[in-house]
Amino acid sequence: MPTTKPLRNKPSGLSNSAIARMFTLPGQVVSVLVLVVPLMVALYMSFTDWSPTRGSLFDAGFVGFENYSELLVWDTRFLFAVLRTVLISVVCLSLEFVLGLGLAVLFLRRFRGKSLLFSAFLTPMMILPVVVGYIFWMLFQSNGPINQMIEFVFGAEATVEWFRSSTAAIIAVIVTEVWHWTPLFFLILLSGLNAVPENPVRAAVILGANPRQVFWRVIMPTLKPVIIVAFVIRSMEIIKLFDEVFMLTRGGPGSATETISLYIYKLAFNDFQLAYGAAAAFIVLVGSLLLVHLLLAPVRDQLLETER
Amino acid sequence: MHDKNLSPLQAVILMLALAIVLFPVFWILMTAIKPPTDWNASPAIWIPTEPTLVNFQTLFDPEALGKYGVGGVSQPATKAVLGSLMATIVATALSVTIGLFSAIGISRYSSGGKATPLIILSGRMFPPAAIAVPFVIIFSNVGLIDSYAGLIAIYVAVTLPFSTWMLKSFVDDLPREIEEAAMIDGRSKLMAHLTVTIPLIKGGLFATTMFIFILNWSEFMFALVLSYTDVSTIPVQLAKYVTATAGTLYGVQAALAVLAMIPLVVVGYLIQSHLARGMTFGAIKQ
Repeated sequence: MPTTKPLRNKPSGLSNSAIARMFTLPGQVVSVLVLVVPLMVALYMSFTDWSPTRGSLFDAGFVGFENYSELLVWDTRFLFAVLRTVLISVVCLSLEFVLGLGLAVLFLRRFRGKSLLFSAFLTPMMILPVVVGYIFWMLFQSNGPINQMIEFVFGAEATVEWFRSSTAAIIAVIVTEVWHWTPLFFLILLSGLNAVPENPVRAAVILGANPRQVFWRVIMPTLKPVIIVAFVIRSMEIIKLFDEVFMLTRGGPGSATETISLYIYKLAFNDFQLAYGAAAAFIVLVGSLLLVHLLLAPVRDQLLETER
Repeated sequence: MHDKNLSPLQAVILMLALAIVLFPVFWILMTAIKPPTDWNASPAIWIPTEPTLVNFQTLFDPEALGKYGVGGVSQPATKAVLGSLMATIVATALSVTIGLFSAIGISRYSSGGKATPLIILSGRMFPPAAIAVPFVIIFSNVGLIDSYAGLIAIYVAVTLPFSTWMLKSFVDDLPREIEEAAMIDGRSKLMAHLTVTIPLIKGGLFATTMFIFILNWSEFMFALVLSYTDVSTIPVQLAKYVTATAGTLYGVQAALAVLAMIPLVVVGYLIQSHLARGMTFGAIKQ
């Protein structure tokens, strides 16, 4: 956090700290009630063997780290859910980054109708995840338009059952995610590219640097914090990926598209293993915090600079 | 960099990308106005044979499909639409109001700014299915389960970090000398903030309100696990239609999906220059 110099103190009136408290108290109270308390309850629960059939949470047996060791050592379904989420993240983020950057670079050129096209390209990220999942569920039906297009392009009859094959279902999830969120990369990268100062670029060109060198040596250093922010925000979102997959495949076929969030949802609300699900969530939380910490480390100072 | 025109190849790539971006939107709009005969045709029909608004009618009057000899949906979407509107508007107002005060406190007095980011990050990164578990338990004990009050509380919990940090970035952009000038004129700090700071970030306040509206309107999972009979929202209703009538009532499902997305797309275009700021907690300003 940046240090702010307090506003000039007036002799009369409330002290700075009293004013500050007045402004931040409501938010702090709400945060404690709706964020800290549930987190604490979940943390306590993860060390018990509680389930709804057992009466009150505080009568439940304390089992120490049993849930955690079970998850980390024996639970292959959890392991696969984590690996699957990592796989989806890596593939989606790479595609979103490359496609978003390509589009952003095109938008540095001059052409007519640019502002209209800019809005059009942002459309996917304005649509709610549930509806995005539903739309693609329709597009991927075996008699749907995607199979029609495959037929049109390859001339062969395409009867891909997108939701019956594990590989195809994962591809469907990835295609949906990439369509939904590439616009965010496009938006963030375009604002980053527009912030690249012109003069160093011109100087590099005059000094005989080729376009590749200009990009990697001059433009990239300015873009780096922006790119890292985009990656952090998107990885946080993919860890929580739920709505689209729920609408597309419900995690099926079998558990072929079961992401972390979906697995925890099924544990808690289908199998009523609430304590076990809570433990899984804390493992994921610690892992994500570490990941974000590592990702942000190289640009933390720069980000805090821009905050002031 | 900014003075070159598109090459023909680049123009083709751009048009292709545009087609890919817009096709799913085109598909849902077309499906929403298809008569029942077109819903599940093989091969799929792209443009409706006889465009109709009957699917939208069916959402509020389940019998409307009668003239096509098709049974309607089991329940109308009226309650879900009203529920979504009510919960979203109330939760957005609460989230933005509380967030505005927190934003001024954190930006101008750096109070509570030390542990807050970590807590907020934890809240954002905790798998929502698992945050829902303690909420379900707590709500069962205090009678908030399956109630709009409970739903609104969750909406505020989810969006408060966004409203706080987005507004903080707008307050940060405002030179503090303006407030100091007002204080030297003899106004108290509190009055200076209320009469100077807040009016000056009007634009940011509007953008934040719209952004939080989008988030609340889109929320699905918490509404799914916290609503049984009394409470419904549009996303939950859509999931129910798909589960209950899988592969049959495409047109009606699509009509509800269109109804869900239209307000967001309109609002999204209104605040498109602030979307990056909202999504990145104010880290990226355009």
